[in-house]
Amino acid sequence: MRYLPLVWAAILRKPTRAVLTLLSVMVAFTLFGLTIGLNATFDLMAEKARADRIYTWPRFGGSGVPVAVARQIEAIPGVKAVTAIGFIPGYVQDPKNQAFLIMVDQNAAKVFGDWNISPQMWNAVWKDRTGIVMTRAQAERWHKKVGDTFTMISKAVKRADGRTDWTFKVLAIAEDVPQNSNGFVFGNYDYIDKARPTADQGKVSEVDLLATDPSASADVAQRIDHKFANSATPMQTITEKLARSGNDFGGLDIKAITHGIALAGMFMVLFLTANGIAQSVRERFTEFATLKTLGFSDRAVTAMVVLESALPCILGAALGVGVAAVLARQIPKLMPPNFGIPLPTISPMVILWAAVSAFLVALLSAALPILRLRQMDIATALSGRA
Amino acid sequence: MLRQIFIVTALNFRSLVGRFWQSMVIVVGLAATIAVMLSMLSLSTGMREAYAKAGDPDRAIVVSKGADQEGQSAITRADAPVIADAPGIAKDKDGKPLADRGLNSGVPVLRKDGSKGFTTMRGLADKGQGVRPELHIVAGRMFQPGKRELIVGLGAQAMFQHMQIGDKVILPAGQWPIVGVFATGDLLEGQLLGDTETMLAALHKTSYNSVLVRLTSPNALDTFKKALTTNPALSVTVERHSDWYKRVGDQSTFVLALLGYVVGAVMAVGALFGCLNTMYAAVSVRGREIATLRALGYGAFPVAVSVILEAILLAVTGALLGAFIAWALNDGKQSMFGAMVFHLSVSRAQFELAVTWATVVALLGGILPSIRAARRPVVEALRAT
Repeated sequence: MRYLPLVWAAILRKPTRAVLTLLSVMVAFTLFGLTIGLNATFDLMAEKARADRIYTWPRFGGSGVPVAVARQIEAIPGVKAVTAIGFIPGYVQDPKNQAFLIMVDQNAAKVFGDWNISPQMWNAVWKDRTGIVMTRAQAERWHKKVGDTFTMISKAVKRADGRTDWTFKVLAIAEDVPQNSNGFVFGNYDYIDKARPTADQGKVSEVDLLATDPSASADVAQRIDHKFANSATPMQTITEKLARSGNDFGGLDIKAITHGIALAGMFMVLFLTANGIAQSVRERFTEFATLKTLGFSDRAVTAMVVLESALPCILGAALGVGVAAVLARQIPKLMPPNFGIPLPTISPMVILWAAVSAFLVALLSAALPILRLRQMDIATALSGRA
Repeated sequence: MLRQIFIVTALNFRSLVGRFWQSMVIVVGLAATIAVMLSMLSLSTGMREAYAKAGDPDRAIVVSKGADQEGQSAITRADAPVIADAPGIAKDKDGKPLADRGLNSGVPVLRKDGSKGFTTMRGLADKGQGVRPELHIVAGRMFQPGKRELIVGLGAQAMFQHMQIGDKVILPAGQWPIVGVFATGDLLEGQLLGDTETMLAALHKTSYNSVLVRLTSPNALDTFKKALTTNPALSVTVERHSDWYKRVGDQSTFVLALLGYVVGAVMAVGALFGCLNTMYAAVSVRGREIATLRALGYGAFPVAVSVILEAILLAVTGALLGAFIAWALNDGKQSMFGAMVFHLSVSRAQFELAVTWATVVALLGGILPSIRAARRPVVEALRAT
């Protein structure tokens, strides 16, 4: 630490270089924070995924499958609780403001016990068929508070009266769960069912269930697929663990992409900082020789160079990850709604990885100049001929 | 003036070797930026190309009025023959109009990595091959009309499990065998094809998604379109098949492309700071050389231009290197996104984009250092150590 003034003086010798290096490092770590933060979100989702929850929906069937399918699934061995769900996909005011409502029956409270929904909220929805509960993220997106009316247009779900608008009352606002950072809105299945033409009544979009034994959920999923494979309504079944494990985004390997971007950024700054420190040491070669003559040990000189290299890296990394954390919160406003990319999470692990990377970049940058300083011939260097 | 610029720049480039590592900051910065950006864009570009290839200016697609995707469209059984009777449609050797009733449905698939996805299952009717001459069977045989059979595209076969001849695909009320493999060279290769009428019955659908016709010539579109849109019995939209796929392709790749450009722009800003740094260092190292030139009578402008040209040379070298890396890593690789199977693409246009970005970064990163180089008082620079 006592070398800090010396190092600081060295950095301030070329203020333009110092500032530009810092900015470049900062930009690279902003990307690092966003990409590795996205991975952190996927990891969190995988971790929070429940081993016992299973989703199943018709392989084919725009208007859904008869609710009887849910009852048949209930009878499959190893199934604990089953809820039948109807979706209302649509938009608010303009087709680009896509909205999505999940209409559930009373078993949802059992199957989705980890949704952060209080018994009062569930009960409110069972009592009021036109009522919905929004999570905070959704309430903010639609600028809704408790008691407000929420109207959406859906052309996918036909109404008996021929209208395309669906009106709901916001009964409560729930806290978001980390595994679903974009939030969700749910309402009462009875409402959608009674509003539809007779031919569509009793149809559900999806059936979600819990397995009695979490370790056997993959088997239960397979049993469901098998049971309906040759029926009029073949089902597509997936465990929540599998759905969340692959960091799956349309079949793309998100991990490989994000790692590639972060690595390219690091490579870019490595060249910049390595050159900066090499140049700085070259310019002050004689001064280092003087320091050594004065009795500064190799270790002390090494420490000074490492510190000079590390300061912009660490500071830039801290600023960059900070910017990433701020940007991550702005993403919902910048991206088209419901695009499906979760928000990056600047978790402690992300910060740790950023710190490790910054140190690595600093050490690698300082390595060659340190080697030169250690091998320097003091007399030659002092004469300025080195 | 030009001669001066030439001489100063040449002198400049000759001294580049001495500043090799410093110069590499610009080269690596741009290479990393462009490699990342073009790799990301290879996804949207590849997808757009797959869409574009599926379109044909000789074809027109008819969907229900206002639908901008096949999935949103419904053409009734009664409307289909009316559409096929319209003028402007090419006839086959039996004198029948080349108009084909098409059907689309999502079908779940198991990807090679074990994750679950979906692709498109498409129905072709009796004139399917006539309307789409690019479709040919590469293994097995064509599905037979009226039979519950499917053929699979080469791309789908490469990306999904259980897509070999003899494998079965689960459909409502029974499983359908795969009897052949087809190639089209476009987006259809990621899909499954079967007979429209048989599929319609199995899926309990009552209407087609589209009617695709082969026009007598690309110019026949107006005649065809006018006949359909002025027919009060029909409520349809007609679009040239190539325009249709260009629009659908642009729409569905917009966000992906945007992501690529945003990440590229952020990295370019990082590279710009590196470029500024390098060019400032370069003019400071060359301070005395520049002052000598000025003392010899060379103008400030040629000096400034030489600095910017150096930045451009380095940046463009880096960008071409980055573009080459992106091309080597990605171009032609079979990939998928959502229900789309396609080949990643780093095209010539992408190389041009890379050079443009590099030039912009170099101009922004070179202009301030060049002004400093040109403005520095000669005497002071000559005296500086």
